[in-house]
Amino acid sequence: MKSIGGKRLVAALLVLALLGVAAAQSLTFWSWRTEDVDAYNGFIAAFHKDHPGIDVTFTPYKNTEYNTILSTALQGGGGPDIVHLRAYGGMEPLAQAGLLVPLGDKVPALKDFDPNVLKAATNRADGKVYGVPFALQTIQVLYNKDVFAKLGLSEPKTWQEFLDVAQKIKASGIDALANGSKDPWTVETLFGGVAPAFYGCNAFYDKMAAGTATFEDPAFKTALQRMVDLEPYLASNYQGVAYSDMQSLFAYGQAGMLIGGSYELGTLAQLAPNFHVGSFLIPNDQGKTCETFYVDGSYGINAASKNQDADVQFINFLASKAYGQMFTDTLKQISAVPGVVPTDPVLAQMANRMHSEGTPYLMLTLFRYGQPSGSTLLQNEMQAVLAGSETVDQAAANIQRGVATWYKFQ
Amino acid sequence: MRSPHPAAAGRRPPDARWVGRLAIYLFLTLLALGFLYPIVLMVLDAFKTTPEIFRHPFGLPSHVGLETFREVWRRAHFGLYLRNSLLVTGGSLLVLLATAAPAAYALARYRFPVRGLIFLFFLAGIMVPIRLGILPLYLLMKHLSLLDTPFALIFTYAASGMPMSVFLLSTFFRTLPSDLEDAARIDGCGEYRIFWSIMLPLVRPAVATVTIVNVVPWWNDFFFPLLFLQSNTWKTVPLGMQIFFGQHLTNWSLVFAGMLMASLPLLAIYLLMSRQFISGLTSGALKG
Amino acid sequence: MSGARGWFRRNGHLVVFLLPGLVLYGLFMAYPLLTSLSYSLSDWHGLVRGAFSGLANFVKVLGQWPYNARFWGALSHNALFFALTLAIQSSLGLFLAALLSRKWRGFAFFQAVYFLPYTMSMVVVGFLWLLLLNPTWGPVAHGLRLVGLDAWVQPWLGQRSTALITVILVNAWHWLGFPVLVFMAAIQGIPREFYEAGLVDGANEWQGFRHITFPLLLPSLAMMSILTFIWDFNAFELVFVMQGASGAPNYATDLLATFFYRTAFGDPTTGGEPGQIGLASAIGVLMLIIIGAASAFGVRFSQRTQTEY
Repeated sequence: MKSIGGKRLVAALLVLALLGVAAAQSLTFWSWRTEDVDAYNGFIAAFHKDHPGIDVTFTPYKNTEYNTILSTALQGGGGPDIVHLRAYGGMEPLAQAGLLVPLGDKVPALKDFDPNVLKAATNRADGKVYGVPFALQTIQVLYNKDVFAKLGLSEPKTWQEFLDVAQKIKASGIDALANGSKDPWTVETLFGGVAPAFYGCNAFYDKMAAGTATFEDPAFKTALQRMVDLEPYLASNYQGVAYSDMQSLFAYGQAGMLIGGSYELGTLAQLAPNFHVGSFLIPNDQGKTCETFYVDGSYGINAASKNQDADVQFINFLASKAYGQMFTDTLKQISAVPGVVPTDPVLAQMANRMHSEGTPYLMLTLFRYGQPSGSTLLQNEMQAVLAGSETVDQAAANIQRGVATWYKFQ
Repeated sequence: MRSPHPAAAGRRPPDARWVGRLAIYLFLTLLALGFLYPIVLMVLDAFKTTPEIFRHPFGLPSHVGLETFREVWRRAHFGLYLRNSLLVTGGSLLVLLATAAPAAYALARYRFPVRGLIFLFFLAGIMVPIRLGILPLYLLMKHLSLLDTPFALIFTYAASGMPMSVFLLSTFFRTLPSDLEDAARIDGCGEYRIFWSIMLPLVRPAVATVTIVNVVPWWNDFFFPLLFLQSNTWKTVPLGMQIFFGQHLTNWSLVFAGMLMASLPLLAIYLLMSRQFISGLTSGALKG
Repeated sequence: MSGARGWFRRNGHLVVFLLPGLVLYGLFMAYPLLTSLSYSLSDWHGLVRGAFSGLANFVKVLGQWPYNARFWGALSHNALFFALTLAIQSSLGLFLAALLSRKWRGFAFFQAVYFLPYTMSMVVVGFLWLLLLNPTWGPVAHGLRLVGLDAWVQPWLGQRSTALITVILVNAWHWLGFPVLVFMAAIQGIPREFYEAGLVDGANEWQGFRHITFPLLLPSLAMMSILTFIWDFNAFELVFVMQGASGAPNYATDLLATFFYRTAFGDPTTGGEPGQIGLASAIGVLMLIIIGAASAFGVRFSQRTQTEY
C-alpha cells in the first residue's frame, strides 16, 4: 500500500514538474448530457487520479439550450476549455469559424478511429478533425421478451411477419409499438428504424451522398409508405405521445415494442431493472435488413482556452481505450473508441450488427449541413403524413424541394 | 342568510336577488376550481410516487413524506439558486426604479424640446423582445467583464423593463393634478424635492404595478441566466429547474415536486401580500 | 459658455432625471438591438460575419420557400394567439372584474385564486399542462375515461386541429388574472357620483355598466389590449416548453419568436443544425416592424380615448 502511494506521489510530482506549474489547473467542460452528470464525474475522477494537477469541472446544460449557449459563448471568446460537440452539421460551423483546435497531430489515437466515424467531427472545408468521437448509436426494434414469450411470438424475418407480430400484440390489449409523434425528432428515429431496408441501405445512401438520387426516388417513397403502414400499431393517441411517454410505455409493459436507439438501454435499466429486452432489425419484404447507426458527437478543445496543454492531456484520455471501456460499461452506450467491446450482451449484439450491416443515419449524416435540414423536413412532413393531412408524394416532394435549396443534386 | 341591504332592497323582490347571488357564487366557484385544481393536483402529485400518479391521478398520496423534495433540493442545489434568484430580482428592481421613475417623471411633467423624441425612444423598446439582440448583448457583457456575474442579468432586466415602466409610470404621473406642483413651487420647493417628496409618493401604486409587471417575468426567466451565467455559483431557480425537468420527464413525482418548489416562493409572497398588491392598484386607479 | 451654464441651472434637473435611464437603456437595450439590425443586412457563414448583402435576407424570408411559409404561418398563429387572448380577457376578464369589484363576501378569495397562476413560471406552467393533458397518463384523460367519455380523450397537444388552441387556452389560464386585476382597479377608480347620477335616472345594472362603467374603462381596455398584443407577439416560452422549438406538430404552433430562435441557433430538437444569424436578424426586424406599427397605432388610439376621459 505504502509503496503504491509513494509511486503515485512521485508520478504526481513528475507531472507537475513537466507542466512547470505548482498549482492545480482547473478545466471547464460543457455538455448537453444532463443525464450523465454522475457518470462524467466518475470519468473525471479516474482522470484526476492519474493527473492530480488537473481538475475538470463538468457542467451540463439543457439539451435544447446547449447549442445556443455554446455558440454564443464561443463566438464571444468565452466558453469552457473542453466542449462536448454535436456531430456532423452541428459542429462544423464552430470549426469553420476557427473556434476549435484541430486535433490531428495532438491526439495520436485518432489515426486508429474508423474514418467513417471521424466524419462526424471533420470540417469538410479543410478536412481536419476537430473532435474525439465518443458514442455510436444504432436504431432498431427493442422488444419486451416477456410479452413475446407470453404471446408465443418470435423475431420476424420478413415485413409481413413483422406486421403479424404487431397485430398479435395489439390484439392482446396493449400497444404494439410504444412510438408516438408528439416530439418531432422521434419521428426521425422511427424512420431510422423502418426505412433503410426499404430504400436499399448503403447503395441508396451512397447515391444520395453523391447527389445522384433524390428524395422522390420510388424506393424512398416506398420507405416512407412503410412508416405510414405502421400507423395503426403506434401507441394509442400517438400524436400526443412524447418521448418520455414512449420510454414509460415500453418500460412499464404497456407496449410490446419500441423502435428506438441503442441509448434506450441505459434508461430502460433505470426505469425497469428487471426488464428482459431483446432487439431485432425490421426486415423488408424479402427479409433483407440493415442497421442505422450514427456518431452522437465528440469532445473538442476551445481555441480560446488558456490551458491548451492540460486540455490536450484530458482529450487524449478521452480518446484512450481505457476510457472507452469505462464509458460503455457505465453508460451502456457503444463507445467510438476502436477495439472497445460492450459488456452488455444486447448492446454487443447491436454493435456487432453495426459492423456487419450498418448504414449511416441518412438525414443526420448528409443533410444537416444547411437549413432547412433534411431532418427538420422529414420530421415535420412525416408528422403531417401520419396525421393524414398530407400524402407520401407531397412529403417526398417537399423534402426534396427544401434540401435542394442548399444541397447539390446532379 | 344575510338580510339584503335596506337601501337597495326596494328595487327587486328579495328572493330573486337571492337566486341571482347564488348563481353568481356558483359560477365563480366553478371557475375558481378550474384555476385552482391544476395547482392542487401539482401539490398532491408531488407527494406521490410515479406509478401511484399513473394509476390514481385523483387519489390522495398513500403517505406524506418529504423524500422527493429532499431529492430535488439535493440534486438541484435549490438553496443556492433561491438566493441567486432573490439577489438578481431585487437588484434589477432597484436599478429599474432608480432610473425609470425619474425619467418617467421628467417626460410626464415637463415640456422641453426633445421630450417627444425621448419618449418615443423609450416606447420603441416596448415592441422589441430583447432576445433579438442577444449576440451583441453577450459580447457587450464580455467586454464589460460582467459575464458570470449577477450584474449581467440585473442590467439586462432593468434595461428591458425600462420601456414598459417608463410608459406605465409616466401615464400615472400625467394624471396627477398640477396644482400640487404649482403650490410646492410657490412654497419654494426645488425640482428634486417636488419629485421625491411630493410626486413620487403619489404614484406609489404605480410603482407597485411596475413591480408586479416586472418582477414576475424576471423571477421566472431562464433564457438570460442560461447565456450569461456559466458557473454554478450564480444560477437561478428557473434555470436549475429547466435542466431538472428535462432530465426527469419519466419521473413525474420528481417533476411535480420540482414545479412546486420552483413556484412556492412567488406563490407565498403573493398570498402574503396580495392585499397590498390589490389595494395598491385600486388606490392608484382612484387617483386617476 | 455662460449661456450653457445658465441653461443647465434652469434645466439641469432634467438631465439628472433622464440621463441614468437613457444610459442604461441605450447601452443594454438599444445598442444591442440596433447592432442586430445591422446583422440583418449582412451575409453570414455560420458564426462568421460576411459582406454587406443589402436586403437579401429579407427577400429570402418573405419570398423563398420554406422560409416564407414558416413566416406567414407563424404570423397567423401569433395573430390568432392575440385575437383569442384578447377575446377572452375582454369578455370573461371584464365580466369577472365588473363582478368582483362589488366586493361581496369571499370575492377577495376568488380574485386571489384567479391571479394565482400568473405568479407561476412559464416553464412550470408549460410542463404542468404537458403532464395534465398527456393522453396516456394525464389526469384530464383519466377523468374523461372515468366518466365514460373515452372518445373525448384526444392528443390535444399533438394534433394539428387542437394544438394551437390548447396552447392559447393554457396561456389564458396563466394570464387572465392580470387583466382582471387591472380592470378591477380601473372600475374602482370610477367616482361613485357617476353611478349615483345614473341611479337617479333609473338605470339598471346593465345600463349602468353599458353607459357609465364601459366608456370610462375604455382607456384601460385599450392599454391592456396593447400590452396583450406586445406580449402575445413576443410569446415564446410556452410553445418552446410544450411543443418544442419547431412548434410541433408540423409547425401548427409555430410562432414568430420560435421561428426566430430556430433560425438563429438551429433547431435544438434536431440536435444542432447550423444557425443562420443574418436570416434570423431579418425575422427579428420584421417582427419589430409588425409589433411596432400595431402598437404605435394602439398607443395613438389609447391616447385619444384618454383625452376624452
